[in-house]
Amino acid sequence: MSTLVPEQARATVRELEAQCRQCLQCGQCIGACPNGFELELGPRRVVRMILSQDVEKLLKCEDVWRCSECQACTEACPMEVDVAGMMGRVRELQMEFGGVRCPERKVAEIATKRLSRKNKIDNMLFGTAMVSRGFIPSDLLATAEMGIKMSTGKVRRRPRLTVEGTEPKPFYAGCSLQQDKEAFNATAKVARELGFPLAEQEGAGCCGHGSRGKVPAKLETDKSVFTVCPACDYSLQEVEIETEPVWQALVEHARREELKLAAAKPRFVPYVGCLTDRETALGSLADAAELADAEMVSSYPGLHAGCCGALGAMFRGPTEAVLKLIDFAAENEAPIVTPCLLCRDNVRSAVRSAKKKVHVYFWPEFFQAAGTAATTADGEADD
Amino acid sequence: MSELRDNGLKPRVLVCECAGTMGENIDFERLERAFADVAEVERSPVWCNRQGQARLLELMEEDGSRPLVFAGCSQDFANRRFHRLFERGLRLEVADIREGCSWVHNGDSESVTDKARRIVEAAIEFPGAHDDKMVLENRVDSVLVIGGGVSGTQAAAELAQMGHRVELVERRPFLGGRAARIGTVFPTNDCGQCLPTTDAQAGVRKCFHRNVAIDNENMNIWRRATVESVSGRPGDFEVSLRQLPNIVTQDCVNCGLCEEVCQVGSEEEGGKAIFSEFYDGRVQRTVDLEACTFCGACAEACPVDAIDFSQSPELTTVHAGAILTAVGCEPAPARLVEHLGYGHEHVVTQTEMAELMDEWEEASWLGEQPVKELVMIQCAGSRDRRRLPYCSRICCMIALKHAIRLRTLFPEMKVTICYLEMRAAGVGYENWFLAARRAGVEFLRGTPSEVQFDAEGRPVIEVEDVTAAEKKILRPDLVVLSTGMVPANDAGRIAEVLNVDLDEDGFIDILDRKNRATETTTEGVFVCGSAAGPKALVECNTEASAVASEIHNFLSSAGRKSVPASTVDAAKCIGCDTCEAACPFGAINLIERPADAPRPAEVKGDGKLAVIDGEACRGCGICAAKCPELAITHNLSDDALFGRLRTMTGGVERPVVGFYCKECAGAAISLSGLRHDHYPDSVRLIELPCLGRISALHIIEAARLGAAGIFLAGCAEERCQYRTGDLSAEEQIELARELLEEAGTPIPLELWHLCAVDRHTVGRRIRLFCARAEGSEEAYRAGIELERVGSVPCAGGGDCVHASA
Repeated sequence: MSTLVPEQARATVRELEAQCRQCLQCGQCIGACPNGFELELGPRRVVRMILSQDVEKLLKCEDVWRCSECQACTEACPMEVDVAGMMGRVRELQMEFGGVRCPERKVAEIATKRLSRKNKIDNMLFGTAMVSRGFIPSDLLATAEMGIKMSTGKVRRRPRLTVEGTEPKPFYAGCSLQQDKEAFNATAKVARELGFPLAEQEGAGCCGHGSRGKVPAKLETDKSVFTVCPACDYSLQEVEIETEPVWQALVEHARREELKLAAAKPRFVPYVGCLTDRETALGSLADAAELADAEMVSSYPGLHAGCCGALGAMFRGPTEAVLKLIDFAAENEAPIVTPCLLCRDNVRSAVRSAKKKVHVYFWPEFFQAAGTAATTADGEADD
Repeated sequence: MSELRDNGLKPRVLVCECAGTMGENIDFERLERAFADVAEVERSPVWCNRQGQARLLELMEEDGSRPLVFAGCSQDFANRRFHRLFERGLRLEVADIREGCSWVHNGDSESVTDKARRIVEAAIEFPGAHDDKMVLENRVDSVLVIGGGVSGTQAAAELAQMGHRVELVERRPFLGGRAARIGTVFPTNDCGQCLPTTDAQAGVRKCFHRNVAIDNENMNIWRRATVESVSGRPGDFEVSLRQLPNIVTQDCVNCGLCEEVCQVGSEEEGGKAIFSEFYDGRVQRTVDLEACTFCGACAEACPVDAIDFSQSPELTTVHAGAILTAVGCEPAPARLVEHLGYGHEHVVTQTEMAELMDEWEEASWLGEQPVKELVMIQCAGSRDRRRLPYCSRICCMIALKHAIRLRTLFPEMKVTICYLEMRAAGVGYENWFLAARRAGVEFLRGTPSEVQFDAEGRPVIEVEDVTAAEKKILRPDLVVLSTGMVPANDAGRIAEVLNVDLDEDGFIDILDRKNRATETTTEGVFVCGSAAGPKALVECNTEASAVASEIHNFLSSAGRKSVPASTVDAAKCIGCDTCEAACPFGAINLIERPADAPRPAEVKGDGKLAVIDGEACRGCGICAAKCPELAITHNLSDDALFGRLRTMTGGVERPVVGFYCKECAGAAISLSGLRHDHYPDSVRLIELPCLGRISALHIIEAARLGAAGIFLAGCAEERCQYRTGDLSAEEQIELARELLEEAGTPIPLELWHLCAVDRHTVGRRIRLFCARAEGSEEAYRAGIELERVGSVPCAGGGDCVHASA
C-alpha cells in the first residue's frame, strides 16, 4: 500500500476521532470482548489509533476483521463510545482506502494466516463458496472439498415444517441452516413435534451481516421473526424487523404447554459463542436442561462464550477459549451443546486438532421432543 | 426628570485634569464652557490628592444636597481613591472621561472633547441609581445545622464557640456520622472520631465522647430529629423540627442489662433492638424504633428505671438566621455494582473490607491467611456515564490504605489493584501510593467490565492489562469493589425543604465553584463537607471551619437592602409569569391581585400580580428587560438608558455602541483603559449593572440612532455574576438581529464574554469590531500583518518584498 493516504481517509478518521474523544482507555472493551484473547491490538488500541489519527496503521489493522460485531465492547464502554461501530467504520475505511477489495477474501486471508497443515479447513459447509473461489490455498483444504461437492448442482428437498391446523411462525433460517440439510431437518423436526410449526420466509438466505459486506435483508414483515443465528438477529434488527431466537421460543413454548424435552445425553457443557447474548442463551440452555432432566455443567459464563475460532465463517485454528472449553468438557465427560451451527463446526474442528474425545452437538441434535425417536445425528467428529 | 434635578439645585460638576494626562486630546476650557449654564463647574488639576479630597469634603459638608458629578477617572478608580469619603456618605455620579475617553483615543482634540462632553452630559442628565436604599435589618443570631457528622458537628462547635446559638439536628441517635463508624482513615491512619479541641482542653484533638466542645452552652443537640419545613427569609428562618424519642433517658448508666434481656434482632451495632454506639457519649443507649416490639422486657430489667416508653415524637419550631446543611454522602447502592458481582459471597465493598480487616487481624496473629489472592477494582460503577459519572475522590486512597494493611498483615497474600487512574492528589497522598508499591501491591492498569463466577463460585475476572496490552484472567478468592459515594438518601428532600438546587450528580449545588464553595444557591443557606460532593475527612474539617466563619460573617453583618432594584407597575402588569420564570434568584412571585390594586384594562377579575422581594433581589434587571408589558422599572430605568444612548451616540455619524456589565466586563474594559490601549473615539460605551438588563429594544434604538455595530460584553462564559444575565442578553441580541434583518438593516451584533485577564486583548477586539462595523475588516487585518512584518528585522536580499516597496 502506498504511504500516501488520501485526504478523504484522514477526514473520515478526524470525524471518527470526534466521536471517541471521551475515551478513557480503561480497557473494558477488551475485557468484555469474547475474542479478546485472540486479538493483536484490540478495540482499545484501535480507538487509540483513531484518537492519534494514525491513519496508516488503521488502514493496516487486521483486528477489525477479527471482530464479529457482537457489540460486547459497546455495551461495556463506560463512556458510551460506540466501539463496535468504530471497528465497522475502520473496516469500511480499509475497503475504501486500504486496498481491501473483498471483505470475505480479507477475512479468509487473515484466517488462513494462522492455519498450519495440522489445522486444515474441513468445516463450514456454507463457507465453501469462498473456498471454491480459490481464496484458500488448496493444501489447507480437507473435507471442505466435500462441502463444495455437496453445495453444487443439487436441489435440496425441503423437509416439512408446518403442522396442520396450527398457524406457522415466520422463520428465518439464514445461511448456515440453508446449507446444512441435517441441521435444518433436525430443527424442523423438534419444532414440528413440539407443535410449534415454522414457515420459512421468502428470501431468507444471507442476512447480510455487516462484516461480510452489505447485502440487505430481503425480508419484509411486521411480525416477529424466529431465527437460529444471532448474526441474523442483528441484521434483521437493523432493518427494523423484530426477532426472537427460536431455541428460546421453543423452550418457552414447551414450558407453557407443559411438554418435556429429551436430551441425547444425561449431562452437557453449554457453549454459546460470541454473537449470542450470553445471559439469555445460557439461561435458555439451562431451561432446556431442566425440561429434559439433563444436567448442565458450566463454569464462569465467559468460558462458555469465547470465540469459537470462526473468522468470516472460516476456521482458523482452535482458539484459547475453545481449548479451555474442550478441556473442561473432557474433564467433566460431557458433550458440548451449542445453539450456533458455526460454533458446532468450529468446535468440532478444534476437538479434532486437540485430539480429545468430546462430542459436539447442535441444539436440535441434542434436544428433541420427549417421546419421539432419538436424533439420527450423533454429533461426533467424523474421524 | 432625574432625581438629582428634582431638588431644584443645579448639579456641581467636578472636572479633573488628572495631572495633565488628558490635556493632549481634551480641551478643558471648552468642556467647562459646555456646562456653564446647567451646572456649577469646578476644575482642578487633581481631585484625589490631599488638597482635592479636603475640598471635596468641604463641598459635601457645605452643600450636601447638591448633586455631585465627577468628570475624571472610572468609577472603579474613583471608588478606590475616594473610599474614605464614600464611607462618610459621599455621593458621586462618575463620568469616566479618562479610561473611557482621553486615555484610549488618539483622535483629534475636537472629537475627543466632544465625546468627553457627552459622557459628562449623560451623567448629569441621566444619573445611575445609587445603592442608597439599604435598610439594615438584624439577623437572628442562631444557626440551624443539619447533620451531626464530622463536618456538621465541627462547624456547630466552632459557631457555638464564636457565641452563636446553634441548633444541631441529627437524624441518628448519635453524633459522629459515617467517619466515626468506619475504621481508620487516611491520610493519618488513625480513627475518624475526633474533633479539634478548644483552648479549654489539652491536646490538639479529642474523641467526640471526650471533647467538651460539643457541650458548649450555646449548642442544642437534636438527636433523631428531622427538618420538616422551613419558612421565613434569609436572616430569620422558621424551622419546624420533628424529633423521635430516645426511649432511654439520661438516667442510664450503660450497664447493659437491657441488651442482655432484649430478644429482638436489629441491624444496629450489637444486633439487638436496644443498643449503644458510644460515639459521642452523651446518649448512653437507645432503642431501634423500627425493630423494637415494645415488649417492655428491657424496662423491667433496668435497675435505674431509665427506660420510658411513654415518650412520643415531638414537633418543635426554632428560629435561625442561617442554615447549614451537612448531610454528607453514602456508599453507592448495590445496583450500581451488580455487574461486578456484588451480592455474591466472594465480592465485598471497601466499607465491608474495613470491617473484615478487623477480623482478619486476629487471623494474622494465629498465622492464618484468610485468602490467597485478592483483587480490588477501582472506579467500581464510577466514572461511568450509565452509573456514577463522577469521581468520588476518596476511593483510591481507601484502596491504598487497605492494600498496604493487607500486605503488612499477610506478606504472602497477592493483592492486585485494577485501576483506571490512581488519584492520589493531596498533602502526603503520593507517599501512600509509593508505600503501596513498596509493600508489593500489584497495580494493574485496566478495569474489568464484569466479574464472573466459575462452577465452584470462585470469581473470574477478564481484564485487559492496558500497559502490557494483553487480556488476562484473574481468579482471586475475594474481590473488593471501590464503590463511589452518592448523595445522602434524604439530600433530595432536604434540598426541597430548603429550596436549594442540586447539582447534576444530586449533591447540594454550591453557589460558585471557585469562590463560594460553602454557600448554596439560596441566600442564608450554607453547605459543607460531603453534602456538596464526596470528600476526604481532611477536606471536611477544613470546610467545616471555613463555613463557620462564613456563617459568622453572615450573622454579624446586617441584612442587605430590603427595597428591590426594580418595581412593578400594577397598572401595566398582566400577571404573566415571564419575570417569575426569568428571575435567577427566585425573587419574583405572582400573588393574587389585591382588590384595590390598579390593573390594566385587559385584566379582568382575579388576575395575578408580580411582586419583587427586596431581600432576594440582587438588582440585575433581567426582569425589566424581559417584561413584555414594560411594567417593570429598574433603578436604571429605560428612560435613563434611552437618554444616555441618545446623548452618547450624538456628534458622530456612525457610532459603534458597546453595552457592558459593570462586573467582569467592566473590569476588563477599565483595566484596558489604564493601559492606554487605543480604540476609535466613535466607540460609545454604556455601562449596565448586568448584561441581563439589556433588551432588544435598547439594541434596536441604538441601531436607529445610527450605530454601525453593537457589541455586548458580559462576564466570562457561564460565570455571569447574576447567573443568567448573559443568556438573557443572548436571547435579546438574537431577537434584535432578527428584527433588524427583517427591516433590511442588519448591522454587526456581537456578544462577548470578558474577564479581567482580557485587559490585554479587549482594545484589540474593539478595534477589530470597529473595522468590521465599518466594512473595512480586510484592510484592518492587512494593516496588522504589515505591522508585524515591519516589526521583524528583514533579511533584505534581492527578492525581499520590502526591498521593492
